[in-house]
Amino acid sequence: MSRTTLRTLIVFVVVGIVVFALPAFVTDFRAQQFSYVGIYLVALIGLDILTGYTGQISLGHGAFMAIGGYTTAILMTDHGVKDIATIPIAIVVTGVAGYLFGLPAARLSGLYLALATFAIAVATPSVIKRFEGFTGGGSGVNLFGTPELTASLTPVRFAGLELNFNNWLYYLAWSVAMVGYVIGWLILRGRTGRAFRAVRDSETAAVSSGVSLARTKALAFGISAAYAGAAGALFAIATTYVNPDTFPVALSIFLLVGVVVAGLGSLTGLIVGAVFIQFMPLWAQNVSKSPGAPAVVYGAILILVVLALPGGAAGLFVRLQQLTRRGRNFQKP
Amino acid sequence: MHRKLTSTSLALIATLVVGATAAIAGTVLSRSDPGVTSSSILLGGTAPLTGLASAYAPVSRGADAYFEYVNARGGVNGRKIEYKVLDDAYNPAETVPLTRQLVEQDKVFAVFNSLGTSGNLAVRPYLNQMKVPQLFVASGATTWGRDYAQYPYTIGFQPSYQAEGWVYGKYLARTAPGATIAVLFQNDDYGKDLLGGLKRGLQRSKAKVIAAQPYDPTAPDISSQIAKLKSSGADTLAIFATPAFALQAYSFANKLGWKPKRVINNNVASGSATMAKAAADGQNKLVNGTISIAFLKDPNDPQWKNDPAMKLYRKILTRYEPGANADDSLYVYGMAVAWTTVDALRRAGKNLSRASLLKVLDTFTSAGNPFLLPGIAVKTSGRDHFPIEQMVLQRWQGGAWRSFGGLWGYRAF
Repeated sequence: MSRTTLRTLIVFVVVGIVVFALPAFVTDFRAQQFSYVGIYLVALIGLDILTGYTGQISLGHGAFMAIGGYTTAILMTDHGVKDIATIPIAIVVTGVAGYLFGLPAARLSGLYLALATFAIAVATPSVIKRFEGFTGGGSGVNLFGTPELTASLTPVRFAGLELNFNNWLYYLAWSVAMVGYVIGWLILRGRTGRAFRAVRDSETAAVSSGVSLARTKALAFGISAAYAGAAGALFAIATTYVNPDTFPVALSIFLLVGVVVAGLGSLTGLIVGAVFIQFMPLWAQNVSKSPGAPAVVYGAILILVVLALPGGAAGLFVRLQQLTRRGRNFQKP
Repeated sequence: MHRKLTSTSLALIATLVVGATAAIAGTVLSRSDPGVTSSSILLGGTAPLTGLASAYAPVSRGADAYFEYVNARGGVNGRKIEYKVLDDAYNPAETVPLTRQLVEQDKVFAVFNSLGTSGNLAVRPYLNQMKVPQLFVASGATTWGRDYAQYPYTIGFQPSYQAEGWVYGKYLARTAPGATIAVLFQNDDYGKDLLGGLKRGLQRSKAKVIAAQPYDPTAPDISSQIAKLKSSGADTLAIFATPAFALQAYSFANKLGWKPKRVINNNVASGSATMAKAAADGQNKLVNGTISIAFLKDPNDPQWKNDPAMKLYRKILTRYEPGANADDSLYVYGMAVAWTTVDALRRAGKNLSRASLLKVLDTFTSAGNPFLLPGIAVKTSGRDHFPIEQMVLQRWQGGAWRSFGGLWGYRAF
């Protein structure tokens, strides 16, 4: 085993321990908020693979989350499938949807692609309402209290631990997030990841090195959507409710904001992006409750972040490291 | 590679530590229900303070202003009411975690006056499971009162949309027995409840609905629906829509040269500001004579100019909600629901608990709410858990609403 692989393993084990120990130190409610961080993290990994690594902007990832969320909700209520079992199905369904969307979308580039994806985000709520018999229409689907929803009524026993709903959600979301993180890392470090980056950096160069543009882009869309589907499934389970308004256009935009704050094209800062999506609106509300103030605070902070940290959180960490290294070098005689 | 990994772990650990230290435990309370101390009652709710539906924000602000006024005068049974409002931007996916925050972190005594049908539907099973009162839901959906047996911790406030539709039906049956009605309705529970109520009110009369066109709330416009309704040849147009679409309905019907004998516009879309806009400086003749219902005092109505309650209303707003537009009747709604809450809390007594409050609300007769139209009582009993079921018809004339006739009472059972 090489040194770097060993180090990766150690880092993951350490992070894993921190993540899994956290609920013991925070309130139930905090654990629930952190489970949303885990859910957003899953979606952000997917979006980063598409936008950060392959260079394809998506303003429609909320729609893929909706597909995942509705797959889970409908399977649970109409077909009696246990919540965890719906997640893999949601991943497959959304992944296929993403791949199919990616085939024609691959012909579009830049702003045109952004508009096409935005169109899906805008259309999704109406489509869901149109098929009312299937999706429950505007009234949505309520999962709370159904036997398929683990731990919502009685705590669940797992490996000798008794977990209430919030802690159960936390572990579920973060398990998926950690596995997703590793898979994402594995995809990106190999041949597929190189093809993604080649497409991002120069399509001409990528084609001349034998990379199929259409296939690579569609694949990136498929993988990315599969992540969004997993996040959507978890989102439905955590929120215990889906309706067309639970996946608004704003969600797609927040995801893009998260990935930019985290730093495009790097898995390093994604947790920061997920924390930003979850906590910044709440925090902005605490600053002032006068009309419109939270939105202004949120916007101002976002502008500051983008101005001060062009590389996002990932860029900040790299810069900090350069600083400490330089400091160390100065001390040397 | 090494550098990258260290920064990865740095990032992960830093954020987790920040998050963990940010955790604050909720206030510890002994014995009594959460949210009640000897000197305070904590209520919480969600409201669209930002976003597309932020026009509804005055509902929570008006209530907050009234609580502050009551607090300044000693509170309820010696307890001051604290009302924490969180912004869900009208998105049920936000309503759920925010409501959990109110219950699990802020430890509210009750969730109060949360606004919006789908947001409240999303948290209803949860709140009932946690045995937290879901008090005076700010939505006219019929389900709050109808499904009381299944969700005993949930109670609405305003007349249900079904009751409102029923009043229009009864009115038409009585005054225009041969009316042929064309209905524009929003394609969700809100529009369907109104339409259902209308049909119920029309039962056993010759007046009938001959055309009904749904529209989607996300639709760009409703011109084709109005054209179809016109071609039905109906002599009465009923608009069961939100303000933006009601405006379009008036405008398109006018452009098509449709002159129905009567127009009905539901309560949600009949604010004075909307009506004035629809009238377009008197260019749109359809607007005049429109019929709607009311249960609140309209701050623009000259008959309440010297009404002590409406004077107090303006005084409270100036004092506790400076900058508020007092002509917006949604502030009146907020104060009305706060007044009833204070009344209920007072009756629940010194030993306030969730159980004692629910017991009060189970058979509740609260007359004399000064912000409601005279004679309207807030009342529940037996199986009937619809607090307000009385309303008044009003007609838009000369740029203002004028009420006519007496109180219309609807019995759900």
